[in-house]
Amino acid sequence: MDIFLERLFDGVTNGAVYAIMAMALVVVFRGTGTINFAQGEMALFTTYVAWWLTVQGQPVWIAALVAAAVGFVLGAVTERTLIRPIRKRNDMASLIVALGLFTGFNALAGLIWNSESKNMPSLFPAGQDDFTTVGGARLYFDALGVWLVVIVLIGAVFFLFNRTRLGLNMRAVADNPESAALAGVPTGRILMLGWGLAGIIGSFAGVLIAPLSAHQLGLTTMFPILIYASAAALFGGLDSPVGAVVGGLAIGLLEAMITGYVGFVGGTLPQTAALVIIVFILLFKPTGLFGTRQMERL
Amino acid sequence: MNSPRLAVAQGSARHRALQLGGLALVALVLLWGAAQEPFRVGQLTSVLIFAIAISGLNLATGYTGLLSIGHSAFFGLGAYTTGVLVVTYDVEPMLTLPVATVLCFVLGFLVGLPALRIRGLYLALVTLAVGVAFPELVRRFTDLTGGAAGMVIRSKQLAPPEWTGLSLGQRGVWLYWVSAVTLIAVLLLVRNLTRSRTGMAMIATRDNEAAAASSGVHIASVKTIVFGLSGAITGLAGGLFAMYVGALSPDGSFTLLKSIELITGLFVGGAATLYGPVAGALAVVFIPYYSSDLASGHLSGIIFGAVLILIVFLMPEGVVGVLNRVMRRFVRVTPTSPAQKKRKTR
Amino acid sequence: MSLLEVTGLTAGYGPARVLHGLDLRVEEGEVVVVLGANGAGKTTTMRALSGLIPHTGTVVFDGRSLDGLGPDAVVGRGVSLVPQGRGTFSHLTVLDNLRVGAALRRDKAGIREDVDRWCSVFPVLAERGGQEAGTLSGGEQQMLAVARALMSRPRLLLCDEPSLGLAPRIVSELFATLADVNRAEGTALLLVEQNADLALDLASRVYLLEVGRVVAEGEAARFREDESIRRAYLGL
Repeated sequence: MDIFLERLFDGVTNGAVYAIMAMALVVVFRGTGTINFAQGEMALFTTYVAWWLTVQGQPVWIAALVAAAVGFVLGAVTERTLIRPIRKRNDMASLIVALGLFTGFNALAGLIWNSESKNMPSLFPAGQDDFTTVGGARLYFDALGVWLVVIVLIGAVFFLFNRTRLGLNMRAVADNPESAALAGVPTGRILMLGWGLAGIIGSFAGVLIAPLSAHQLGLTTMFPILIYASAAALFGGLDSPVGAVVGGLAIGLLEAMITGYVGFVGGTLPQTAALVIIVFILLFKPTGLFGTRQMERL
Repeated sequence: MNSPRLAVAQGSARHRALQLGGLALVALVLLWGAAQEPFRVGQLTSVLIFAIAISGLNLATGYTGLLSIGHSAFFGLGAYTTGVLVVTYDVEPMLTLPVATVLCFVLGFLVGLPALRIRGLYLALVTLAVGVAFPELVRRFTDLTGGAAGMVIRSKQLAPPEWTGLSLGQRGVWLYWVSAVTLIAVLLLVRNLTRSRTGMAMIATRDNEAAAASSGVHIASVKTIVFGLSGAITGLAGGLFAMYVGALSPDGSFTLLKSIELITGLFVGGAATLYGPVAGALAVVFIPYYSSDLASGHLSGIIFGAVLILIVFLMPEGVVGVLNRVMRRFVRVTPTSPAQKKRKTR
Repeated sequence: MSLLEVTGLTAGYGPARVLHGLDLRVEEGEVVVVLGANGAGKTTTMRALSGLIPHTGTVVFDGRSLDGLGPDAVVGRGVSLVPQGRGTFSHLTVLDNLRVGAALRRDKAGIREDVDRWCSVFPVLAERGGQEAGTLSGGEQQMLAVARALMSRPRLLLCDEPSLGLAPRIVSELFATLADVNRAEGTALLLVEQNADLALDLASRVYLLEVGRVVAEGEAARFREDESIRRAYLGL
């Protein structure tokens, strides 16, 4: 029983991070209709920034906030300078640019901070003894902290979307960009802010996951997260923030249970498992669980 | 439109002469390449192999508009097919190439199936899945593939056949010529395919699927067969690549980065142009070569990323696309109408 | 000086030019209708005036040029378009649709007041306030689109074929409301229509468009009554 609970906790913790990363993908997709393949690598870059700040002696919380600010700027600038001019051309163009950013940001992080993995300090007490026992299973404080941050972050995003003027405008642009412009919404600025917001959320995902990851912070830390987050976003529906959360938790739990209980997969195929899920969703329920938008843009 | 300086009628003596001149030039360049020092020959061989791989990608992504981020898997499957057959079953290396091609055709066909229901971004995700899964599967099936440790093809097994008169030490030259001939065959195939009815159907599918379908194009078979062929050609390149590197490992050349390299090559060279993949292969091989010493490969990653983005902005038709446009200003091959032919024969 | 003065307007899509130097004006508080067959350039005129597509020629509104402005800036100047096909936000609630219409306003109390007002003018909007706009009928969506455009308190309301696809009873209801708005608020109206008869009742002046040019203009009454004009231009 306690083993099961520990796996459950692991699943929820990872799932929470996938959920916010998926949320970042959803925010971009709703506005721009594209998946930002570079979202993970942008987050990687900002996480390195956070790590570097902690090495300079800054408190980790400050570092995380600065990383979020950098994430905002990266996202917003990318939208304004690289995506907006070519977005209308075709899907292929935005995807190619995203692939370019994907390679570029990863290599840039490697160039500045080399390929050795770094010890990213946790935002929370992360010692061997920092846990509480729940039903015989250990629940570590840093896992609990991740849950907390994710809950706050998700709450903030939902508040933004549903209770603020900016959020209303974002939803309007996602729904019908031309009508939004005709109603006086500055659609360009809204898209830019959307990408910036995604950058913030992604940064948090990076700062939260790096200390938990077995290999610490390295150049390959974020790619699997992006894969799981894409699976989560597709599972929940690419245009649904609720779906991103449900999808993220579902993928996290599934991963924990599969690696724990299914012998064949045995730890080497979790990404493939996530991708099989992606393919099946695309084939049989292309709008995801909570999505509404027809998946293809012609 | 400006009238070109030189108008050449198709099939005329002048056209023939130009074509022959072109062939002679190609032969000269290839001979020159073969005469270089071994290291350079090896480099040029990898250019030829990448040109084949990118030509395969070009069929799906360039001509038919099906973006694939998973072609590293075809490249890898081809390479591992050759590797496993040669190492474990001691098969003659050249005989493994058809097997690699057929296997990759089947995989391509299967990947093409989702393309029937989904498009653009979502198809890219499916191919991404295939690309990411491949190295994981190689690692999983250790018995067959050597797993994460990789597998090595002994150089003795790669000896050139006797009739060539080449020694074991000259196997680089042998592989160079094999790759060159294969590339020429692939380019001929792509040229004939894209000029055929099937080629029209591919381009129509890319430009407007609904319109293509209503004009009688069978979208389903076009997509699956194109994906199959595309995978097969890239897999063929993979087989040659296995002979070229001699050592295979899942994290070496068959990760998503390889896909991104192929895509970069395609768009730099010129998507949906016949010779674009050749220009792209040159870029893909030589850009990292001249930049990798600088910062353990990271700089080449940045350059790749930057080049990819710049191409989209500045030169969406690629190097060869631009060259073609410039060429058309000066030389135009005018197709002969039946009436003209009659007049000529008279 | 007129509220809206358009001179030599040309616009189109890519290389295809649809408007070839169009002149028209709308006076303060006036109702003007633009009539024309399919493809005459009516919708293109509306899209160019609202900043959705670029144009050449000059568009002066209230003494200031609108040339080169994007749609959101045009709304900011007081010109609001009800697009053809309504363009409601189908996944937003009816009330949120109205709130988006006030995107450029900062007076919270005024916005709330206006939401209430349009909900009382179009009672169906109050009834369906919490529903997603996509679940509304065509007529209801058209009311919503008009109400949303009015939420920005425009001085000129552009309507692109508001009657399209609506039952005749709904159309007359809608036109009656438009007339009320025009009287009560002094909002000038520029209407594009194929449904000539109803539009002529509403309008005071008429422009007739053919292949991107104005071929006739005049008092609505003259168009209504003069049999020869009706036959020659309107096919009635």
